[in-house]
Amino acid sequence: MKNRIWFGIAILMIFLISVPFVASDYWVTLLTLILIFTVYAAGWNLFSGLTGYTNFGLAWFIGVSGYVSSLLIADYGLYWLFAWPIGATFTSFVSIGVGYILLRIKGVYFAISMVALTEGTRELFGTEYLSPMTHGGKGVPFVAGISLSTLYWAILLLAVITLVLCYKITSSKFGLRLLAIREDEQAAETLGIHTTKDKIIAFVLSAFLVGLAGAIHFTYQNYIDPSFAFSIHLTLTPIVMTLFGGVGTVFGPVIGATLFTFIHEILWAELTLLYMAIFGGILMTLILFFPQGLLGWMKERGILPRIRKI
Amino acid sequence: MEPILRIHDVVKKFGEVVALDHCSFEIEPGTITGLIGPNGAGKTTLFNLITGVLEPDHGHIYLKGEKITGKKPYEIARRGVGRTYQIIRVFPKMTLLENLIVVGRGMERRLIERAMGLLRFVKLDEKRNDYASDLSFGQQKLLSLAQVLMPDPQLVLLDEPAAGINPTLQNDLMALIHQLNEEGKTFIIVEHDMNVIMNHCQNAIALNYGQKIAEGSCSVIQKDERLLEHYFGR
Amino acid sequence: MINFVEIFIRGLMLGSVYALVGMGLTLVWGVVGIVNIAHGEFVMLGAYFAFWVFSLLHLNPLLSVVFSIPVFYFAGMMIHKRVTERLVKEQELSALILTFGMSILIWNLAQFFWTNTYRSVAYLTGNFPFMGLVFARSKTVSFGLAVGITAALFLFLKYSKWGKAIRATSQNSEVALVCGINTIKMRALTFGMGIGLAGAAGAIVSLQWVIFPQMGGSYISKAFAIVVLGGLGNIHGALAGGLIIGILEAIVTQYLSAKMAQIIPSVTILIILLLRPTGLFKK
Repeated sequence: MKNRIWFGIAILMIFLISVPFVASDYWVTLLTLILIFTVYAAGWNLFSGLTGYTNFGLAWFIGVSGYVSSLLIADYGLYWLFAWPIGATFTSFVSIGVGYILLRIKGVYFAISMVALTEGTRELFGTEYLSPMTHGGKGVPFVAGISLSTLYWAILLLAVITLVLCYKITSSKFGLRLLAIREDEQAAETLGIHTTKDKIIAFVLSAFLVGLAGAIHFTYQNYIDPSFAFSIHLTLTPIVMTLFGGVGTVFGPVIGATLFTFIHEILWAELTLLYMAIFGGILMTLILFFPQGLLGWMKERGILPRIRKI
Repeated sequence: MEPILRIHDVVKKFGEVVALDHCSFEIEPGTITGLIGPNGAGKTTLFNLITGVLEPDHGHIYLKGEKITGKKPYEIARRGVGRTYQIIRVFPKMTLLENLIVVGRGMERRLIERAMGLLRFVKLDEKRNDYASDLSFGQQKLLSLAQVLMPDPQLVLLDEPAAGINPTLQNDLMALIHQLNEEGKTFIIVEHDMNVIMNHCQNAIALNYGQKIAEGSCSVIQKDERLLEHYFGR
Repeated sequence: MINFVEIFIRGLMLGSVYALVGMGLTLVWGVVGIVNIAHGEFVMLGAYFAFWVFSLLHLNPLLSVVFSIPVFYFAGMMIHKRVTERLVKEQELSALILTFGMSILIWNLAQFFWTNTYRSVAYLTGNFPFMGLVFARSKTVSFGLAVGITAALFLFLKYSKWGKAIRATSQNSEVALVCGINTIKMRALTFGMGIGLAGAAGAIVSLQWVIFPQMGGSYISKAFAIVVLGGLGNIHGALAGGLIIGILEAIVTQYLSAKMAQIIPSVTILIILLLRPTGLFKK
């Protein structure tokens, strides 16, 4: 059985790697977006799905890393191969402090504080005071000197690494400790678990992965501006994808990202103007009728085994 | 011999309410001490202070001679203090085995061995891959005992371990505690059931309105008029 | 020379409307237990309500403010019964995500049907001199309306049967439950009141500012800051919080810039949650 799974994964990987050679740019673009949002969703899930701290500031990771990386490329001519990791690393560093300060706040207030941080940073980036560096609210168009295929392979590599990491962590003691934090943080502490340290490690790891994907995302767009970089849309979409696929599982984010991007493509093509409204409606339906997500629903029906790893 | 736990002049207030009022006592290693008193006397607050969940407004707490006042809960737990809760707090959506492994420190293989040993000790080894939320109330109590023992603490605080379970299970539980006590562990047990206290504890401390009103061996306490009046005459 | 008194009064005027929005949100959050992200959208809907009623029926906008209250009250009750009541037992995060979805649904539908064209209700023009200072008539009347509605709200909470039930629930929901107060009906009523306040605030806003589908966004940010400032469920606190936010906005706009003033809600939330999470005011 296990051999069949490895075989299947190998076939999938060969297929994915060869896409730029055999398919048109349209498909490469579509897959690129799917992979970017897979990393966003999996990165969100790695922290929030396991610890139970709902991070509503994913766009903060994306925006900060995106800006650092894009400005390095646009204004300083840095090669993308260096700009991306620098953007992600910078975000991770700052998120150590942010995590240390904000992870004391529990529950829905933590979610709100992360939204406030994201909104505040967005407004700050748009002000006159920072615009010499950030170009204010105008946005920065730029070209990074990278081909679509190369960018695609880069995000494919990142997505694979991210999923492997998620799988390993979910099966590890560290992952168990994060779950304990979700189940009962105070009891975990009195049992000897250093919850602050574990929370921050997961938070920073999430920041790095999501930030790296963010840097790639804006290079792909050849454009960045505060209202998109820090938009609530970038926070919500990965969360909805994960919810749809199943929170706390490894493959939930993947399924969610794939399905949702396809749905987006169809809706966008047919009903451009109403697309967002329908998205909002889907979100409401999900919460009301499928709180466990697709994978959770399948597990409950016995279609899938109830292993946490998947 | 150095007392394993020393509470010195501890005060804890919640707004106007004084939960603990200049409380002081010592616990000798290897003893089983009962902590008794009516509801609201300050027993759970005392546990919260010892485990670091709360900090005293005044006074200090010493563990094996070391001052632990103000230390974080995980630091105190790692120094050898375990604690169960009145309302059982195991991790519901994790299996029994995971509940134990997650609190252990060290190599995974050895942890699994130790966890299995503890599950056998509380006779739950067959259910090791079940979710904790699937257990009955009494089984969850046993699981929480196993869990608290996993990091091998020297001082174990049990908050109403006998409450809500049938007498047979109660006896089994107390037998387990005696076995551990003979191996050298110190216990402080909060209980309302005076039979449990009198039959199983060597010493007892009585609290009321945050103050220690009696302390000593159980036979002495049993005869203390003031205590009987406070405890039963309210 | 800018008169500090003028800035202060300007802030009060701004804050009076923010307070209405904030009190609505804190009512729903504290009593019903639902975090309504879509609250800002109802402000937007209130503004459009006043606009359409003025354009199509030529109704005096001041009257539309009054009418918006029952309209939005009943709309809120219906929405609660159909949608949000189901989430009362769930964790707060579910309500957060659901109302996020509702917010997106509402403003995008508004954009689809009414387009992004800026609208306005050009009814009250001209200025109003007061003690040597000059204020726009629209803003002064708006202030008066906001004060009136707030006063009515407080009278209701203090003296009416339901008002007392609401206060009891917001202070100690468990005790209220045992007394049999916190029923579906009461929750629906409170939710309706919250939405009613939002709608009325929106109608008042239409007298002073331009109207567009995404306008709810800035109101929800401020509403959150107000709820956090005033303490969850604390209506008096929300009133004070609203005025504080308004005054802060007036000061920062004057001395720094309007763009910098946009940061106030976020900074307020972060500071309060870190330093005094229960809010500045005691119950």
